[in-house]
Amino acid sequence: MTNANPHRLFRGGAAPAALPARGGIGLKPEHYQYILDTRPAIGFFEVHAENYMVAGGPFHHYLERIRADTPLSIHGVGLSIGGDGPLDEAHLDRLAVLLARYRPESFSEHLAWSSHGGAFFNDLLPAPYNAGTLARVCAHIDRVQERLGRSMLLENPATYVEFEASTMAETDFISEVVGRTGCGLLLDVNNLYVSCINHHRDARAYLRALPLAAVGEIHLAGHAREVDAAGAPMLIDSHDAPVAREVWDLYAYAISLTGPQPTLIERDNDIPEFPVLAAEARQAEIVMARHAKLEAAA
Amino acid sequence: MNKTITAASLALAFGTALTLAATPVAAQDKMADKEKCYGVAMKGKNDCKAGAGTSCAGTSKIDYQGNAWSMVPKGTCEKTASPTSPTGHGQLKEFKEKKA
Amino acid sequence: MSAAFARALLQPDAPCPAGLKTWNGSDPAKRFAVYRNNVVVSLVDALADSFPVVQALVGEEFFRALAAEFARANPPRSPVLAWYGDGFADFVENFPPAAGLPYLADVARLEWLRVEAWHAADAKPLPLAEMAARLADEAALPALRLALHPSLRLLRSAHPVVSLWAAHQAEDVSAALGATDFADAEAALVVRDGLDVDILRIEPGAAEFVESLLRGAALGEAAQTAAPFDLPATLGLLLRSGTIIEATPSGRIS
Repeated sequence: MTNANPHRLFRGGAAPAALPARGGIGLKPEHYQYILDTRPAIGFFEVHAENYMVAGGPFHHYLERIRADTPLSIHGVGLSIGGDGPLDEAHLDRLAVLLARYRPESFSEHLAWSSHGGAFFNDLLPAPYNAGTLARVCAHIDRVQERLGRSMLLENPATYVEFEASTMAETDFISEVVGRTGCGLLLDVNNLYVSCINHHRDARAYLRALPLAAVGEIHLAGHAREVDAAGAPMLIDSHDAPVAREVWDLYAYAISLTGPQPTLIERDNDIPEFPVLAAEARQAEIVMARHAKLEAAA
Repeated sequence: MNKTITAASLALAFGTALTLAATPVAAQDKMADKEKCYGVAMKGKNDCKAGAGTSCAGTSKIDYQGNAWSMVPKGTCEKTASPTSPTGHGQLKEFKEKKA
Repeated sequence: MSAAFARALLQPDAPCPAGLKTWNGSDPAKRFAVYRNNVVVSLVDALADSFPVVQALVGEEFFRALAAEFARANPPRSPVLAWYGDGFADFVENFPPAAGLPYLADVARLEWLRVEAWHAADAKPLPLAEMAARLADEAALPALRLALHPSLRLLRSAHPVVSLWAAHQAEDVSAALGATDFADAEAALVVRDGLDVDILRIEPGAAEFVESLLRGAALGEAAQTAAPFDLPATLGLLLRSGTIIEATPSGRIS
């Protein structure tokens, strides 16, 4: 099984070192001091880019110290790659400054939009999958990679609605984007599961239809359960709970297809003590080790 | 208007200020405060989650916001209705945040 | 497409945008509500994190209603949410249901300055020994210019804003509020000292002095304020909080 390096796919720019194929944790201010005090053996940390787009102060103080001896992924949540309008060049400039400062092993963003008409909605909003959106998303990713001088990973979204204007399956759409731009795929297994329940798809078939050779990182998170107007299950990408058993199962399946991958535990709400997250990151490493063992035996 | 500030009075003021700033007692206070304020009180505000229960809890939040214009503040401001003794107005006083 | 979607996100009573579908034919409005609520709730949460004392003063329910009104009328203009809430104090000032709390807007202003100071650029304080060396030439002192920490902010209020803020850091908030004189006008000096933001109550004259220093006035000129103030104590405070980052005898300071 190949462990494709997405950076290889980008047609320009120097490839930075990749994240290790280990468990990582989303870095939260609640855990800064604990991490500096205990120096836990974590494969990598990931931060949301926008939180560090400030001049100085505690956030940079801690990130600099923590990043010094741990690989780092910078994950943007505000670029609005799926938006109607042109990319926010000022925001791209801020990203460039941040990436130059921390030299992260990975940079990723979302297949979603969040800004329109000058307003920022602070949510990852869905777009129809059709030729128009495809052209815009590809142009935006081309611009991002050109401006930042490196390849990016694009994350598959968790969505709650679909559009009548969609003419392509999400998997085909993502495959086209990856093929045209050379970007990699950030495979969010929880998003995948949430969307497949919400839109009544077969999660394993969906997974197989993605461009798995381009996967450069995997996300795992918890979700919340609700129901839609007809009483059918509707899952919310809430990041407020441990990774669900169904998502762990799907993750093991994904690893069997992609080989070991840098795997992030995301927790943005009801944040527990650090060791709770570290245990989930270890769980991901156990899944990957089990896979490696099976491969070796085969 | 303060009287014209002379070089000598500035020198005197700085002399006192440096002594104040270097006083071990003040330094100890500072250390104690630091201990108490350990940790980071402000959160990173950007993330990529959807609020849990947004369609239920969130809706109820939206529902009552419709009445915002007729709502009455009901917090610690209720304790501010009966001001009592004046404080030592004008003194220099320092406050530290309590740990979040 | 996103124009209609965006419009409906900020209007709680608007129908959900056309062109949405669901696999089972269920009403997409309930699914769209996930987005609509997340937008407003996440922005309200961001404001609650930046304005904890305003929230404590008016209570969570009132605060969330107030913040939701603000968020719908003033969605962020930047994806950097650390800066979301600039303008909240002005909104509070003009929000009729809060009119009974005349000090509330200034408390919001103070909390906003704390946010600004929190994220401001870093700068090393001038070590005391070096400061002392800069003072060696007594005759040059009136022309001395002080460069102050980039996080430094000042607020002059007609209300006891620092006392109100400090009361909410106390163990017994009620007792601390009970000891607050609401006739007091207060000036606040906000500065990040290391990793903590200090909020200091200073005399109006001292605020005037620091404002002059910020404008680049030399020491001798800045110290001549309209209101009297305790110069040694104020300088001691600036030194102790690490606010003075450079002192230059004359000319420009960077």
